[in-house]
Amino acid sequence: MKTLSRRTLLRGAGAALGLPWLEAMAATGTAKSPVRMAMLYMPNGINTSAWYPEGSGRDFKLSPTLEPLAAVKDQLLVLGNLWNAASKGGDGHYVKEAAILTCATIKKTPGADIANAVSVDQVAAKRVSDQTPLPSLELGVTPVAIGVDAVVGYTRVYGSHIAWSSPTTPLAREINPRSVYERLFRAASGPQGNSAKMDKLLLDRVLGDAKKLRAEVGIADRLRLDEYLSVMRSLEERVERASNATHRAWKPRVVLDPKSTPTDRPADHAEHVRLMLDMIAAAFQSDTTRIATFMFGNSVSNVSFRFLEGVGAGHHDVSHHQKDPDKLRQYQIINRWHVEQYAYLLGRLREMKEGDSTVLDNSMVMFASALSDGDRHDPHKLPILLGGRGGGRIDSGQYLSYAEDSPLSNLYVSMLDAFGTPVERFADSTGPLSGVLKGGAA
Amino acid sequence: MRFQTYHRLFLFALACAGTAEGQYSFESAQGFLRTYCLNCHQGKSAAGGFRLEQVNAPASLRDAARKWTSLNRRVRDREMPPKGAPAPPIDQIEQFTDWVGGSLRAEACSAGVTGGPSPIRRLNRDEYANTLRDLLDIHLDLASALPAEGAGGEGFDNAAETLFLSPLHSEKYMEIARFALDFAAKEYKSRTRILIAAPGNGVTEAEAARRIFAHFLPKAFRRPVKEDSIAPYLTLFHAARKQGQQFDASVFFALRAALVSPMFLFRAEPPNTGTESRPVDQYAMASRLSYFIWGSMPDELLFDVAEAGKLQDPEVLQQLVRRMLRSEKSMAFARGFVEQWLRTRELATDKAPDAKLIASFPDPEELRSDIRYQPVMFFRELVLRDLPLLHLLDSRYTIGTSNLAKLHGAANMPVRKTASKQPHWMELPEGTQLGGLLGMPAVLAVSSYPYRTSPVLRGAFILDSILGTPPLPPPPGVPPLEEHREGEAPKSVRERLTQHRVNPLCAGCHSRIDPMGFALENFDMIGRWRDEDAGKPVDNSAELADGTKVAGPRELKAYLMSKKDLFVRNLAGKMLGYALGRGLTLQDSCAVDQIVAKVKENDYKAQSLIDAVVLSVPFRYQKEQSKP
Repeated sequence: MKTLSRRTLLRGAGAALGLPWLEAMAATGTAKSPVRMAMLYMPNGINTSAWYPEGSGRDFKLSPTLEPLAAVKDQLLVLGNLWNAASKGGDGHYVKEAAILTCATIKKTPGADIANAVSVDQVAAKRVSDQTPLPSLELGVTPVAIGVDAVVGYTRVYGSHIAWSSPTTPLAREINPRSVYERLFRAASGPQGNSAKMDKLLLDRVLGDAKKLRAEVGIADRLRLDEYLSVMRSLEERVERASNATHRAWKPRVVLDPKSTPTDRPADHAEHVRLMLDMIAAAFQSDTTRIATFMFGNSVSNVSFRFLEGVGAGHHDVSHHQKDPDKLRQYQIINRWHVEQYAYLLGRLREMKEGDSTVLDNSMVMFASALSDGDRHDPHKLPILLGGRGGGRIDSGQYLSYAEDSPLSNLYVSMLDAFGTPVERFADSTGPLSGVLKGGAA
Repeated sequence: MRFQTYHRLFLFALACAGTAEGQYSFESAQGFLRTYCLNCHQGKSAAGGFRLEQVNAPASLRDAARKWTSLNRRVRDREMPPKGAPAPPIDQIEQFTDWVGGSLRAEACSAGVTGGPSPIRRLNRDEYANTLRDLLDIHLDLASALPAEGAGGEGFDNAAETLFLSPLHSEKYMEIARFALDFAAKEYKSRTRILIAAPGNGVTEAEAARRIFAHFLPKAFRRPVKEDSIAPYLTLFHAARKQGQQFDASVFFALRAALVSPMFLFRAEPPNTGTESRPVDQYAMASRLSYFIWGSMPDELLFDVAEAGKLQDPEVLQQLVRRMLRSEKSMAFARGFVEQWLRTRELATDKAPDAKLIASFPDPEELRSDIRYQPVMFFRELVLRDLPLLHLLDSRYTIGTSNLAKLHGAANMPVRKTASKQPHWMELPEGTQLGGLLGMPAVLAVSSYPYRTSPVLRGAFILDSILGTPPLPPPPGVPPLEEHREGEAPKSVRERLTQHRVNPLCAGCHSRIDPMGFALENFDMIGRWRDEDAGKPVDNSAELADGTKVAGPRELKAYLMSKKDLFVRNLAGKMLGYALGRGLTLQDSCAVDQIVAKVKENDYKAQSLIDAVVLSVPFRYQKEQSKP
């Protein structure tokens, strides 16, 4: 079998664990600090008995699952009773999870006519894509789930993507921390010497080939080539912006250090997750991008959490607890572990000074699952958290519980507003989510 | 209201009468529809705009095939009747959906098989990496630099419909093109293969570059390239020269563009602008063959045969397929097909064998790899030896390695002393039950949790992946299983599942799913034989849905052998889907029937399946382009 296992020549020997951080580099932020937005998605729902805080408003006590957030409680919003009405039918997972950031009803298909909607992160990314080297960052830790779920009739593509740049285009995720860092580094340093000019020539050429080919193919195939044209054009624009010194408005707020490149072989799931969260932090601190989405796992993920004390099974398995107290206990431990990772990211961002504030002050970091009780595939009362002050716009430090089945999309309206890319409506929104933004916006 | 209830009962009785005679008919199906659907789907304000009158004539199976397909799917998925309305019992759902599916197919097939859509398709990451390997003659792991693809159609990652492009791809394609060509420029073999001309001796720089491009581009684009398509690459070459780059560097720069061009990254077949289905052109055929069997570009011979116009000749095709299968490159087919058909790719992620279970092995990593590749190698050997496909269900042979022998015990798997570390074809001793796919750790692990077996997962795996009859989804609003009572002793999996089947809502499907899994209980979660589980003897007895009683893997496999037609049809459909790189249409399923017939004629020989796929109408023809 030896002969079958491919030796990876691209992979270096780098085995640095964790990232030495770059506090030494002074923030260059003279202008107002930009607002950043990240969404962290956890599959399989929650143990509902241990999630919701006691109390309400500013006077609330964190639940056992949310306890790891104690240190950042003043920067946190716990949001109760939100749901995504568009995800109520269909199957137990894909319909819910693919739509967590789109609030649309996905089309049931093994692939041929895939359809969702543009996700909230991409609504924002489209409007600020010219401001940073990368428009957005899509990250995960497990490869795309393969195959078509023949029992329920959905392609697993749905369960592996929360960021959608168009109703028909899920965005590919990067799962290798080393590649992410190298990508950030390259994007932030911009093209060197005359390579930008050459890259532009090259891209012009391939765009020419694409237009020619597009004229020859049938209607349906044009969509695919339009996808090609669109990603290549946006790359061309980025090369152009980066190479034009006088027009290059963007400067890294902190310079990325190539010595900080992480390993591409994380030792285990926990390290892998941490490294990917570090990448979000590095991207936000350097301002290489302002938008990131991260999936802790794919829909129906059964990643083994046996590395956690007291857990003996996989994620999805445990989420179908059937009210067995032991499984419920394990379910809660797994939930709490995810919240710890979220707290870790919030903590990292808070350590990053940015003028008089911190990167966390200027961020909105959402944590979400698309189900509450995983055993019942329940899309009501979703577990939603929002960390960071969004540049001072978010009225954090509260537990806000809304009328039953309030639209999750209202939160997105508020977040897009705080991000500086306001919209009239998002999907089924009825307005901003009251209490989230400071000053009015009730 | 009362009237409606009686009405319904009456119709119900009628529908049952139809089935009692044993012949499900058009009338039986109409009875089913009237019983469960008529209430909402009639009149001007019919729900969803769908009225039963639209499907109440036999001709509607032809004229309103889409309506039938969609209603059939909704009944099968239990979206209809909606929650709250009386739901049909499961055997009625099955009779109805089987009849609709069969009738639609019969209707579609009566018109004869025609070519299918030939969508433009991006190379997936393995195809991309393999193509660069063969085009540049370099050996690097380029695939892992790209994001993995999801799957569509028949469940494979080469399906045109789910090969999307993200900004991430555009960056990666640029980087990999540079990296791969820099590497090729330094390798003597690759370099000489690309730089087939040099300036000097009366050859101008421009002429040398033109010759290089005229040689390279048709291979990169997998079809002849006209002079006017070469010119832009010459322009790039000149631009690089103007920037002060050397001749070679300027050539490689222009080639970089070729590797990012859609002509390279996509497989596009010349569209059929006619009014009926036609054979695909020679070069498209070369690529169809090479990406099916090699997951890569055509080689010189295929290009030559295409140029000679012989790639629609059945005898030539058959010979070529034989030759292509013998090449090392056909491993891409074995891996791509088997690992996705059986989902054993998941052994690298969610289904990775638990580290603690295999920690005692000298090289656990090697064992993992042996486990994962056993079904792949087994499949490839079946094909190369042209053995019956039924060996996949049960066999006296398997692929052995010393690691696997250690896992199973030398008595079950006596591997040869020499070269035993290498995977090899071996005869299993009398009495072992390790034959066929269902005796392989990969398959047994991928249908378990990493820490325990699951009769449900294994049963569902057999129904879906082996027999091609996936279980129905759970009905909407299933109540959670029985509550665990305080102080109660924990129940065994079998006990809990038995309770499960007491609930009539669950019983319909789980009486089909679970028993198959029980029969495999002698295999633990990584496929080791066990007679005891947690101190108790393993109970491997099961009563299958049709009343057949089986005990243990051997009897289950014998039962599956009696369902061999279902198995072969499923396998043939999967393989045609993989070969075409798209989801199958109703028309394609007619071709599957023909393929299955060919395979049966040939005593289920493995190569006869591959031949029949390659010679099938959908593989060789494309349908007319749809009009705007």
